[in-house]
Amino acid sequence: MCLKYPGWNVLFFLSLCAVPLSAETNPPEVRVDFEREIRPLLADRCFHCHGPDAQQRQGDLRLDEEQAALADRGGYQAIVPGDVEASHLIERITSGDPDQRMPPPDSARKLSEDEINKLKRWIAEGATWETHWAFRPIERASLPRVQKKSWPRNPIDTFVLAGLERVGVQPAGPVERSRLIRRVSLDLTGLPPTTQEVDRFVTDSRPGAYQRVVDRLLDSVRFGERVTSMWLDAARYSDTYGYQVDRDRYVWPWRDWVIEALNANMPYDEFIKNQLAGDLRPDASGAQILATTFNRLHPQKTEGGSVPEEFRTQYVADRIETVSTALMGLTLECCRCHDHKYDPISQREYYQLFAFFNNIDEAGLYSYSTQSVPTPTLLLPTETQREALTVAKERVRDAKRKLAATAHSAERALVQWLAEVEPSEVESSEQSSSVDAAEKSGPPHRLAHLDFEGDPPRGTIHIPGISGQGVQLSGDDAVGTEVGDFRRYDPFTIALALRTEKHPKRAVVFHRSLGWTDAGSRGYELLLEDGRLSMGLVHFWPGNAIRIRTREKIPLSKWLHVTVVYDGSSRAEGLTLYLDGKRCEVEVVRDKLTKEIVGKDGDTLALGARGRDSGFRGGQIDEVAVFDRQLSSLEVDALFGGKRLAELRDRGLESLSLSDRHAMREHFLLSSSEAYAEALSELRDARAEAASAAESVTEIMVMHDSPGVRETRLLARGAYDQPGERVTPETPSVFPPFPTDTPRNRLGLARWLTDSKHPLTARVAANRFWQLVFGEGLVRTPEDFGTQGQSPTHPELLDYLAATFIESGWDIKRLIREMVTSATYRQSAMTSPDLVAMDPENRLLGRAQRRQLPAEMLRDAALQVSGLLVERRGGPPVKPYEVAVSFKPVKRDTGEGLYRRSVYTYWKRTGPAPAMMALDASKRDVCRVRRPRTQSPLQALVLLNDPQFVEAGRRLSERLLAAYGPQQLVTTMFRTVIGREPTDAEQLVVKRLYETQKKYFALHPEEAALALHTGDAPLDPDLPVAEVAAGGVLASLLMNFEGFTRYP
Amino acid sequence: MEKGTMQNLSSANSCSGYELAPMSRRRLLAQFGMGLGGMALADLLPRAAAGATDDAIAAREPPLLPRAKRVIFLFQSGGPSQMDMLDYKPELNRRHGQQLPEEVRKGQRLTAMSGNQASLPLVGSPFRFAQHGESGSWVSELLPYTAQITDQLCLIKSVYTDAINHGPAITFMQTGSQFPGRPSMGAWLSYGLGTENQDLPAFVILVTKNKGGQPLVARLWGSGFLPAEHQGVRFRSGKDPILYLGNPSGIGRQTRGRMLSALRELHEIQRETNPDAVIDSKIAQYEMAFRMQASVPDVVDFSDEPEHVLRMYGEDVHTPGSYAANCLLARRLAEKDVRFIQLYHQGWDQHGNLVKSITRQCKETDQPTAALVTDLARRGLLEDTLVVWGGEFGRTNYCQGKLAGKQFGRDHHPRCFSMWMAGGGVRPGITFGATDPLGYNVAEGGVHIHDLQATMLHLLGIDHKKLTFKYQGRHFRLTDVHGNLVAPILA
Repeated sequence: MCLKYPGWNVLFFLSLCAVPLSAETNPPEVRVDFEREIRPLLADRCFHCHGPDAQQRQGDLRLDEEQAALADRGGYQAIVPGDVEASHLIERITSGDPDQRMPPPDSARKLSEDEINKLKRWIAEGATWETHWAFRPIERASLPRVQKKSWPRNPIDTFVLAGLERVGVQPAGPVERSRLIRRVSLDLTGLPPTTQEVDRFVTDSRPGAYQRVVDRLLDSVRFGERVTSMWLDAARYSDTYGYQVDRDRYVWPWRDWVIEALNANMPYDEFIKNQLAGDLRPDASGAQILATTFNRLHPQKTEGGSVPEEFRTQYVADRIETVSTALMGLTLECCRCHDHKYDPISQREYYQLFAFFNNIDEAGLYSYSTQSVPTPTLLLPTETQREALTVAKERVRDAKRKLAATAHSAERALVQWLAEVEPSEVESSEQSSSVDAAEKSGPPHRLAHLDFEGDPPRGTIHIPGISGQGVQLSGDDAVGTEVGDFRRYDPFTIALALRTEKHPKRAVVFHRSLGWTDAGSRGYELLLEDGRLSMGLVHFWPGNAIRIRTREKIPLSKWLHVTVVYDGSSRAEGLTLYLDGKRCEVEVVRDKLTKEIVGKDGDTLALGARGRDSGFRGGQIDEVAVFDRQLSSLEVDALFGGKRLAELRDRGLESLSLSDRHAMREHFLLSSSEAYAEALSELRDARAEAASAAESVTEIMVMHDSPGVRETRLLARGAYDQPGERVTPETPSVFPPFPTDTPRNRLGLARWLTDSKHPLTARVAANRFWQLVFGEGLVRTPEDFGTQGQSPTHPELLDYLAATFIESGWDIKRLIREMVTSATYRQSAMTSPDLVAMDPENRLLGRAQRRQLPAEMLRDAALQVSGLLVERRGGPPVKPYEVAVSFKPVKRDTGEGLYRRSVYTYWKRTGPAPAMMALDASKRDVCRVRRPRTQSPLQALVLLNDPQFVEAGRRLSERLLAAYGPQQLVTTMFRTVIGREPTDAEQLVVKRLYETQKKYFALHPEEAALALHTGDAPLDPDLPVAEVAAGGVLASLLMNFEGFTRYP
Repeated sequence: MEKGTMQNLSSANSCSGYELAPMSRRRLLAQFGMGLGGMALADLLPRAAAGATDDAIAAREPPLLPRAKRVIFLFQSGGPSQMDMLDYKPELNRRHGQQLPEEVRKGQRLTAMSGNQASLPLVGSPFRFAQHGESGSWVSELLPYTAQITDQLCLIKSVYTDAINHGPAITFMQTGSQFPGRPSMGAWLSYGLGTENQDLPAFVILVTKNKGGQPLVARLWGSGFLPAEHQGVRFRSGKDPILYLGNPSGIGRQTRGRMLSALRELHEIQRETNPDAVIDSKIAQYEMAFRMQASVPDVVDFSDEPEHVLRMYGEDVHTPGSYAANCLLARRLAEKDVRFIQLYHQGWDQHGNLVKSITRQCKETDQPTAALVTDLARRGLLEDTLVVWGGEFGRTNYCQGKLAGKQFGRDHHPRCFSMWMAGGGVRPGITFGATDPLGYNVAEGGVHIHDLQATMLHLLGIDHKKLTFKYQGRHFRLTDVHGNLVAPILA
């Protein structure tokens, strides 16, 4: 890496010079700059033990705060302003005694002589202390005075020029027009200009020609695609979940939202508010909720046996990391385990931020066995689906009305029914045991009955039951049945007797499901949770489910009769739990079930155990009965052995209390009314239709706060299983306070972040947009604005940009327009070698930097010049050639999916698009705001041999041969690919290659024919093979030439 | 190999006029981070020293005296069962079928797969163990070939890890962190030491083809926040060992040579009008790619291997992409000074039906593994090549699910497992560390993954505390803030 050494040297060089370069010319008169020279030194060498981290702090000395560093330490001070001799710090860092010397000789940290001298000078000069630049309010400095007044086109240039003039350097001359339009087209749209666009601009002699180009580009819908590719890195966007299993997920509508928002020039503060908290905005629109998918784009886990809470904690931590890196330029993840060692942010403050993102009803694992979308979700129906849903809902409403009406008019039928009841029927049930009654005359629609009188099922042992024999469960062996395949719109009843000697923390009494966390608990299940009965119907636990739980723990060491009744409504109120025939007091744990509860397997009821879950070990059961209808409360009572049904009948309707009469009527309707049964059946059908309509609607992960789902606690060492003190949402105290007029939730946090007084948000954003068009930020560590990051090369310019960004209403396009219309941007890359030697990293911005095009641009440009590019916007990700040869190969597309812009390329975390990766694209595992820039032979192999580029070369050859003929081919191709006329020397080289190659292919027609084979795009049969093949070689040459692969 | 490459190049030269750059080898190495990494060493060495030796890029030695120059890591992915292969536990066999005693388990967390099991029956190993070699190391009948090289091995029976599931555990072993985002060990070494080879990447990945089991992910050989050129390059077993290595159809080496020659001319013209260091590295980048096109097919072509060597690796060696073929390829890469050669062999995740499955796994890996160590030793390469064998964790001494005859399985077990090292400065023929009689906990000499990593770096001449990279304001290292050298295993 040739960049390595200059990079190192310059860093080293600049850190030695007070103000770059001027210190050298005039050292004694320039005061030591605390911000540039002293704080980084203290931070790097001292803060580790004498910084913000209270746990690590040695000798109770803090050097990151002025007050503490100057404090009286019992007769001496670490730092005495103006008095080097009296400053204990100097004594320690210069001590010859290894026990006294700081930093300790055995640590990796050392202070050089220069550094020690600098500290001495700083103290001698009064040890002036300043708040770290990035935490200070944004201040709009007045424009500096410059000499070359003709050069600046806007304030940006005045700041840059002042810096250049300070060291006596001239800015580079303006870049020629053909290169300028290439540069700005790439920057604003990600695509090179066409030859026509170049010609038009080069020959446009009217004033404002460049402004018009810029306006056209900013208005182009390609602008959104270009800027989005940067945002996808920060948002760690991928089309799969990540980690090991890495299944596909549906998140691309969010990517399209970003493209549209940027094209519509959504103000940056709105852009942020929507993504962080769109769901919490007043009257949130679907699009605003969709924007919050941003917070769910972290990798997600499904590996069997994982602890859900461990990963859920990681997801929240990932949200914090992304928000802090992408929006604030802070390295907050340090505080996950301890106070930050370098920046004034405590571990407690980290978890206070954590609390903002910790309230969604999510699971730590996504479902392995089903395709459930991890909750919370937003439904994204198509228009047709929306209509179907409305129709189905109306039908359910109608059916419900009809059912109510049937119930209302059933009074006469009830009286009649009572009169018809045979007394003997009631008699017989009174005389026999409850079990016999159930056997002989029990409720109809019983699908199964387990009395365990025969051989005990595998893994269980016989014990005396509630009636005859029962069984004791092992906890590992489930007792199977052949019934119980209910949908969420099917009413059902399940009853059993159970007995337990203790209250297990969690035990599966029965379930019908594919599995536990492996299937998001999809199905239904009765659990014992800390001794309480808990019944749920689940699509994906916990966010899409209904569940009720008894308030009381069940009694121990006695047989109990438990019945669950469900009415098919998909509502928690449709679930009823009975204990010994009496309705239990319950709490509603969840009440949101919008999708199916069945999968492809596990469709029968099983008792006592479930794979990987806690079984009902040592629990005893007996008399299991399953009904495919809702039993009345009187039937449940009778099932238990109660006599209320018989008693009420005997007493006659007139003498019943209101509630008894109500129970009797319910019983009649559910057990004996044909009209009611018919209405119920219609309601079930309507619900089935509504369920089916809902099933087809796609869902996307979003944020949705569910207050109270959990409390946030500080986690010792960041470990999910070591919760400490409870914390509430709060922002770090080093920043302006949380606004008083806003709720303490993500929306409040987003408002706090985008408040004009926040010192970081606008600076970080302005810096990243600068990086987008200049290649490097003014702060060259865009991910770290803290004390360990680099200071801005042009602090006043950064603040000017940030301040005007806010003043303009966070207008992104205005900001970018100002940048690209500046004289600074329009400089040539050509400059004197002396300046390059003096400022190899171009920190003075005295020229343009010819950096390599990002991965997306290289591929898109090749497609563009060849004419293969398909500019369809948005939609599902596409799979170009390269995904078929990734580490996790995926079937590639045929047709236009091969030729879409790279922002739409399918991104698989465990095997990302390999050509993109070779060309330095971000892996998108975690938030990244800067890409490495490397040059490896593997990149050359991609540009030389990747079928995408080879095919593009061949098509380019065909296109130009067809349009211009063989005479013009060489020149037009150079102009098309490189965007300018070739020089004479260049012309000679390309022409010679083309001619040689043409002759060669004419002599080797079989090779020429083969050379046209790469890629799906059809051949043009009318063109001469040798010419096309030679043109393809020429195209490959040009696409590997740095005139194509680098910015002009 | 140098010779072969040069021949290939010169034959191309004569047809195309495409010539090697007049560039010193040292300069070339520097260009691609394929020399001894400047930045890393700048961090490792005192500043003044770094400045003084800036020019001596290829000749620079690591700060400590290195015992190994390269690593071959034979990664057995899925978690091999230590008590069926290397950790002989007669007491466990005696107590077969009894419950795992609570005083042994001590309430530690189990995976969510067996953690809720009502019964945790101990299961002894059905495989016979015997002592082998002068070292008298116990090895089971599953590993007849490994048994023959025990005197070369340093067997560590007391490795333990923090992670309990595959994804986090492999990531932890390879990057020192359970969560994604950190550089892998090979990337650290490429960054810290560079390579002494100019035609091949510093860090090569070989994955056994067509193995099922716990999925591997590209992140395991990623460069994290280190510059991307340090990421591992996976050799494929097909036509193109490296992505897009081969020329497209119809583009012969002559055509390619002519084209690259023209490219070089264009770049030189460019350099004349606007001198710029990047252009030099562009030129070198294409030359290197051109050379790799010749040298990589060379290194993966076994036709020059004598029959007795091929026989030693076993019949599978003729199947490209097999573990045996990858072992032989590892030796060939080691000969060419590739810094870190990482093999992956999946399929050790025996939750059920262990006996049949582990027997098959051992059949695939035992012979080639032993052959590799022997082959390296015979060529004098073992001295400065560190061979490491092991997986991401071990397996439980109790049965997952029901214990029914030979149809048992074992769950993940992070608290103790066995690995071995050979060559490169480790003491041969010893056993280090021990587990308790039931093989559940470490009884003595526990080696944490960070200790293992620290020791590996030490053997390569690097103090694990000093190989750092500053990212996001922090000096990151492979061992995070942990890791102790396991001194007793050093030769």
